[in-house]
Amino acid sequence: MSERITVDARGMACPGPITKLVRAYRKASPGTLIEVLATDPGFKPDVEAWAKRTGNEIVELAEENGVIRAVIRVTGKK
Amino acid sequence: MSKGLAIIMFSGEAEKFIPLAVLTQTAANLGVPVRVFVTGYALPYFTKNKPQPRFTKEFEDMVPALLEGMRKLNMPQWYDILKEAKETGDVKVYVCSLMAEVMGLKKEDLDPIVDDMVGAAFFMTNTEGYQVIFI
Repeated sequence: MSERITVDARGMACPGPITKLVRAYRKASPGTLIEVLATDPGFKPDVEAWAKRTGNEIVELAEENGVIRAVIRVTGKK
Repeated sequence: MSKGLAIIMFSGEAEKFIPLAVLTQTAANLGVPVRVFVTGYALPYFTKNKPQPRFTKEFEDMVPALLEGMRKLNMPQWYDILKEAKETGDVKVYVCSLMAEVMGLKKEDLDPIVDDMVGAAFFMTNTEGYQVIFI
């Protein structure tokens, strides 16, 4: 089973949630699942853009009660 | 996506440091290299005795709401965002040697966030093909 990390970026504004995600990503090994919780209204398109640019996979992306939850699989590291 | 961002930081008003910090951090997050060229009125804020930048008088009515909103969001100061961006990715901060000379500043007077003092030719050739942003 792959390792799972949760990044709580609720209450943070752009570019805070992506910065916090990147901070976790830099330490994560390939295959790790990173779950990010964010309330920044720009987070959804931002995380999609980030994943596309860095070659990481979005496994889940959903919004519930104003909280956006993204699950990313670390696939952008060789 | 561009090869990199070449940000020419010329202004010295407090609000101008916000896009500098946000754009730099975002590019670093995306793995896009950033080269910042500090010149003009921005220079004093990159020295060891840096003053606190002041907001433009024209928009002073908006400043209390702006500061309150930033406080509520726990937004870090521009300097801390820039510092974190340097730790995140390929970000270099250069001070314009002409402006430094004009202001009588030496390398040792510069803030540690500055990587080097360089001329325009170095900056231009080192950011060839980059998207240029003038702040």
